[in-house]
Amino acid sequence: MPDALVVAERFRYRYPEATRASLYDISLTIEPGTFTVLAGVSGSGKSTLLRAFSGLVPHFHGGDATGELSVGGLDVREHGPGDLAAVCGAVFQDPETQVVMGGVRAELELPLEHRGAPAGAVARAVEETALGLGVAHLLDRRTDTLSGGELQRVAIAAAMVHDPLLLVLDEPTSQLDPVAGDELVWQLRRLNEDWGTAVVMAEHRLERCLPAADRVIAMVDGAVVCDAAPREFLEWAVEAAPALATPGARLFSLAGLRPLPASVKDAHAGLRAAEISAGADRVCIDPAMRGKRRHDRQNRRRSRWFPHRNERPDPALALKDIWFEVEDGPTILRGISLELRAGESVALMGRNGAGKSTLLRLAKGLAEPTRGRVERAGEVALLLQNPGDYLVQGRAVEDAGAAGVAAAGLAGREDANPRDLSGGERQRLALEVVLAGEPAAVVLLDEPTRGMDRLHKDALAARTHELAGAGAAVMVATHDTEFAAALADRIILLGQGVLIADGPPAEVLGGGRHFSTEVARITNGAALLPEEGAESLLRAEREELTR
Amino acid sequence: MSLIPVYRSRPSALHASRAGAGAALCGALALTGALYLHPLILSAALAAIVLAGSLAGVGREIVRSLRFALPFALLIAVINPLVYPEGDTVLFRAGELLGRRIDITLEATAAGVLNGLRVVVIVTAFGLMSAAVDPDQLLRMFRRVSYRSALTATLATRLVPVLARDATRMSDAARCRPHPPGRLALARAALAGALDRAVDVAAALEVRGYALGGHTAPRARPWSRHDWRVGGAAAVIAALSVGGAVAGVGTVEPYPSLEVETGGTEMALSAAVLLVALAPFAGRAARMGVAHA
Repeated sequence: MPDALVVAERFRYRYPEATRASLYDISLTIEPGTFTVLAGVSGSGKSTLLRAFSGLVPHFHGGDATGELSVGGLDVREHGPGDLAAVCGAVFQDPETQVVMGGVRAELELPLEHRGAPAGAVARAVEETALGLGVAHLLDRRTDTLSGGELQRVAIAAAMVHDPLLLVLDEPTSQLDPVAGDELVWQLRRLNEDWGTAVVMAEHRLERCLPAADRVIAMVDGAVVCDAAPREFLEWAVEAAPALATPGARLFSLAGLRPLPASVKDAHAGLRAAEISAGADRVCIDPAMRGKRRHDRQNRRRSRWFPHRNERPDPALALKDIWFEVEDGPTILRGISLELRAGESVALMGRNGAGKSTLLRLAKGLAEPTRGRVERAGEVALLLQNPGDYLVQGRAVEDAGAAGVAAAGLAGREDANPRDLSGGERQRLALEVVLAGEPAAVVLLDEPTRGMDRLHKDALAARTHELAGAGAAVMVATHDTEFAAALADRIILLGQGVLIADGPPAEVLGGGRHFSTEVARITNGAALLPEEGAESLLRAEREELTR
Repeated sequence: MSLIPVYRSRPSALHASRAGAGAALCGALALTGALYLHPLILSAALAAIVLAGSLAGVGREIVRSLRFALPFALLIAVINPLVYPEGDTVLFRAGELLGRRIDITLEATAAGVLNGLRVVVIVTAFGLMSAAVDPDQLLRMFRRVSYRSALTATLATRLVPVLARDATRMSDAARCRPHPPGRLALARAALAGALDRAVDVAAALEVRGYALGGHTAPRARPWSRHDWRVGGAAAVIAALSVGGAVAGVGTVEPYPSLEVETGGTEMALSAAVLLVALAPFAGRAARMGVAHA
């Protein structure tokens, strides 16, 4: 058994001026070459623990640290981030602030130059790291021309260029589309296997990273509450912390199947072992029933607002042959035509750069299309990607009003500084800020679930259902397929500025590979969410028994 | 769009040369602007900058630099005759202001225009440098002199576009609010956002080992054909400019009556500055090995 890379013994940490500890009696060890996932809802202490591994806590942030925590044999209370950087590379959430230099090559050279490495060694390490992490083709690019995924990979390369024993990452996929997020996780796994680097990654979308993980550490209120292999962690989560259970685990748990799967491959094996065919012809919701609940919900809303059912309501928003061409730049949108109707909930999906944000900005009128027409039936409320941009006052009530604070689920916290709220709370408060005027005919949200845990996502989905129920047309641009499946009556998929799919969730998300939910991949597209998937599995099981 | 050009990699001789050589060429052209007030020499230097920028693929950036410099040039051209009443040729008598007679003279107007032209030459020369010389390489050169100052400059360079994007986002968010916030609240939030950014970047620097304060000796890199050609052009232009100034070439005496030397020497110096500045872009050799990855 090799010596542990990280050893914590009753480590406790409290931020300056905080009333309670953010890390509470942490005792754990992390062995070299392991891949560990840190799980927990927002505010559970994941980021603080990672910052402690890299020495930012307590040296950069201040505060009180007690107990023992050593990384690579260095006590974090005695050694600062500079010393710990030799053994621990760190990558945080926002790639924009992870990159310091103007060029990619210079960015990779910087950590080695800080160590005074000889020029020849710097050149070689940069070349090898760039090749290993698939960023060699970016070496001569300017950092401000990189996409979010490219920037994140460059940040990881910069953290790895001096070959640390441990790499810690704080929600590195939160700003990436499903394709780029999956690629990043598997690149980390390859790095872990080929280079022997221990990886510790905090992440909300566990279904994305559990297949690559050896071990999961779950945190609640700053304490470690579960430390186990992925399957054992899922067993614990479905009972003790359902918000942390993956959709696949919830599907199996609801269907009474064991063991709980840590990946789609595990799930398929589990279904085979239970002699339930995962073929779409077997595990299948009756096509007539497919999406019925959603259509019922939509029809109920429509009948409330448009009692004469045969009259199709006028669109709340109509985009007619919209083009958006950047001067000296690319064509972002190419002839998009679509209509949104009152009471409709639509998820707008597509990879990074597909044109989702641009489409929302045109719909709001923040930009004008270069060709085509936008018709709006009333007010359009748009919540852009960064909720902090809407929260400019010192007190929540000054930004959103007392009613807005209550609608955001923050009653009693009117005087809180918006900067002190969690990401999910800020998102909900910012939504109320944009809804504060006349009732909006159209509500548009751009990537509202970035970095959000499941509890906050559920709360946001409930609020958008409420808005749609009140007669607004709601459109949400999102990479989060699970959120889209829970929220939307209709999915629109954009690809390179062109509308490539527009239909009910079961059709669009059920038939995709990347743009599909974990449950859809397990059930071969027969169901999108754990509840309906479990129904179909149970039905298939019953059929199997009666046969 | 920013009026200050941002570096982009382009397939040109200037971009392919080492940062020191590229900066030296731009600096030599700026030096010509600083040493002379002669309209022909200044025009030649300006033409050299515009044409070199165009040949380097950064013509648009040079136009932006011109747009940035022109208001300053106009301001100097307008203010100089108002505050400097010297000169024999009075164009306009504007009466008295605070007991002081205001006469607009041809000489002061011409001197204002020439000083404005000088500002345009210097600003566009630095605009060319900003657009065509890799700032990371340039700052690495200065790191040998003062490591932390150069890194601070690097960070400032990197953060300017980031903060500009933040400001654009906040402005868009304000437009999305039914009740837009006051300017003070926005300014306060922008400042808080900038501080947050600064803290995040500082944390990133810390975990990259900034506190170690090490220093890598630069690796000897062989001089390429572009390094020689661009560096050579810079040396020749600097030598011609300094030599000409010492020898009294291109003398301009605006007062009391405008005297501008317009002999063959001035024409030769102007032609030399223009041709030498463009020489690195000429011939087949200028197109070899310029493509960036």
